[in-house]
Amino acid sequence: MNFSLKAMYRGENSWDFLGVSRRVLAGSAIVVLVCVVAIFVRGLNLGIEFEGGGVWEVPALSQVTTDDLRDAASDAGMGEARVQRITGGEDIFRVRGELTPDASAESVVSKLAEAARVDAETVSTRAVSPSFGDEVAGKARRALIVFLILIALYLTLRFEWKMALGALVAVAHDIAFTVGIYAIFQFEISPATVVAFLTIMGYSLYDTIVVFDRVKDNERSLSAKSRMTYPDLANVSLNQVIMRSVNTSITSVLPVLSLLVVGSLFLGATSLQEFAIALLVGLIIGSYSSLFVAMPVVSELKSRESHWAEQARSAGVLGQSNAIEDAAAVLAADRYDRSSPPRPRKKGRKR
Amino acid sequence: MRRSHLVSLILVVVFAAASLAGVLSAGWTPVLGVQLQGGVEVVLRPADEISDEQFERAIEIIRNRVDAIGVAEPDITRQGTQVVIQLPGVKDKQRAVDLIGQTAELRFRPVLQMFDPTDPEQLSAIEEAMNQGQDGDIGNENSVETTEPEIPDSRASLSDVLTPPQEDDVSAMVALLGTSGQTGFVLAPADVTGEVIEEAAATFQGQWIVNVSFNDEGATLFDQMAAANYGRQVAIVLDGVVESAPTINAEEFNGQAVISGSFDEAEAKNLALVLRFGALPVEFERDDVRTVSATLGEGTLRAGVIAGLVGLALVGAYMLLYYRLLGLVAICSLATSGAILWSIVAWLGESRGLALTLAGATGIVVSIGVQVDSNIVYYERIKEEVRRGRAVRSAAAGSFRAAFSTIIWADLASLISAGVLYQLTTGTVRGFALYLGITTLIDLAVSFFFMRPLVILVARRLVGERPGRLGLSNMAGGVIR
Repeated sequence: MNFSLKAMYRGENSWDFLGVSRRVLAGSAIVVLVCVVAIFVRGLNLGIEFEGGGVWEVPALSQVTTDDLRDAASDAGMGEARVQRITGGEDIFRVRGELTPDASAESVVSKLAEAARVDAETVSTRAVSPSFGDEVAGKARRALIVFLILIALYLTLRFEWKMALGALVAVAHDIAFTVGIYAIFQFEISPATVVAFLTIMGYSLYDTIVVFDRVKDNERSLSAKSRMTYPDLANVSLNQVIMRSVNTSITSVLPVLSLLVVGSLFLGATSLQEFAIALLVGLIIGSYSSLFVAMPVVSELKSRESHWAEQARSAGVLGQSNAIEDAAAVLAADRYDRSSPPRPRKKGRKR
Repeated sequence: MRRSHLVSLILVVVFAAASLAGVLSAGWTPVLGVQLQGGVEVVLRPADEISDEQFERAIEIIRNRVDAIGVAEPDITRQGTQVVIQLPGVKDKQRAVDLIGQTAELRFRPVLQMFDPTDPEQLSAIEEAMNQGQDGDIGNENSVETTEPEIPDSRASLSDVLTPPQEDDVSAMVALLGTSGQTGFVLAPADVTGEVIEEAAATFQGQWIVNVSFNDEGATLFDQMAAANYGRQVAIVLDGVVESAPTINAEEFNGQAVISGSFDEAEAKNLALVLRFGALPVEFERDDVRTVSATLGEGTLRAGVIAGLVGLALVGAYMLLYYRLLGLVAICSLATSGAILWSIVAWLGESRGLALTLAGATGIVVSIGVQVDSNIVYYERIKEEVRRGRAVRSAAAGSFRAAFSTIIWADLASLISAGVLYQLTTGTVRGFALYLGITTLIDLAVSFFFMRPLVILVARRLVGERPGRLGLSNMAGGVIR
């Protein structure tokens, strides 16, 4: 594969995506397997929204230590409290623990504020009942199932069921990968993260639809007598949309990267961080999967159809393997047979 | 063709500018959510199964309480089986949380005196009477308050006289207002609470009346009170508001009472509801209570704004670098969408009290990518056509159809996900879905009515036959391949 940025910029790239697709798919499958194993072995670090309990965020003065706050927490009747000092911007202490009848959210606030030598009004709190998390998770699960069914229907109507299947495989791949990252690094999962996962699904689908749309468009413009195999068709289409995929990924990742780097590292807004990590990972993996997972899956399925199998056989007889440039030429010729030919340049007057 | 492009372009710009100017001159700004300005967010769930009617009544009660605290932009919504209460910017956070979670209790208090809350002289007299009454009834408990030097002829204001919610105890003498706020009541301690009521219903018998029946224990208690207050008024008090103050016209009710007065249908039904559900208090569990300090909220907001601006600048720079003149079009599209979005968010805040939450703001940041993608899909199509040998101007006009069809199908997927999430989830996820949906719709409109005509105009006027201005390098040879 001749990899050249300049060729990409000029749209002269002709890479054989599908030629390597089986190996790439196998690689992706292994990575997803690792992620799934990680999710089961290491488990997920669920936030209090899912497990219940309390979190207190207290402004951190330099002379106060995490031990001071831990003592204050146990004073207030909490058993095991986890105290973290979060730096970046203005430092804060993050105290997380169980709520008990003795340690109500209010009594803990005053104890912690006293220990941290700050005003109680500056303490932010979160108290969640254990049953709440089940409900949040239940609702998210239900929404997810309805969403997947609707999307499958939508893609089937708009394209065909094989493409719907390819898109859903890609989405599953993205979610497994991203959740796997959260399991491996034990990042905390909150409703904010769930939002990010959902965004990733949306993005991945969006990307995949752009690719499929191009394949369908090219397929329609093929004339009945053109000799082209489905992988060739897919390859040409992928080469056509790759620059759009790359550019869209870059312009989508830039704001999220800025949210992560500027927002949470320099300014210490931890609530933004939760979103940003998942989004960043998901956006990149979403672009990858629409090119390297969704399309190859569809190509595998479509090549089995009798029409395409026939095409592949005759291409094999003619010794035409891996001829993307030829395929692009066939496609261009077919397209211009049907629509009006491009105007000669001299007709365009300068203004 | 060309004319319609120009008209559409001008209309969009005028629309965006006018809505932004309108919103700014009206002084509307987006209402910031709890996480962005500090405040209280509470999610409540009824402890037992309750009917829709009870649920609505409970929400009504909560709304009244929140109004009593005086929050600028409260947002109280029922989401499925939960009530989500957002009080951005509320001052005394702990008190707000306590007040919201309380169980409603209906109280019957004999009326000692009625007064006009707008008459300063009556207010002063009431205040004096209240202080004496408290001395007499409660003794020295409130000595700190009463030993303060009193200037006899100072004009008491209404807020001095009225009993604040946290001192509204069953056993205390209180001064409260009626539902309309026009009448003040000085009320004795409550002998009977709403637990005595079994059923209450509004019926029409020549006039609207409310039939009340008491349970066995309640009938005895109520008769005792009736005997003590025969011929006098007894106030029905819920949440510090006198809902009604009927006169007791019998000494024995035997478990049945009729409240009559000059009710209209709505008033009678409302009173019946108060008696029934105030009497059977809905108990709420606090699923999620979040208080955010003002400093933390401001910090998040500042970080979000700075990060958003930096991100936008980076995206703009990249687009300019890659697509040259078309990059400029993309930046103009973003600016137009931004103006429309700001107007909508401010309008939603002003008219619906809908706050821009942290999740919503994230949805917007994410939508920058979607918006820019619409530009990129179109531009890549143009470049492809030009590479095939088509003139820039005809490529710009000719490739929009295919590009826009891609944009619609992709945006439709976003809209489906926004719709499903909005319908089926609550809280954070819901806020995100709302803004994702809004921005996607804006993207579709701006792509069609603004981006397309502007690109075509730019291609005609400014690019001509120099594709280098679109970031198409070394195309002198024309057809490649």
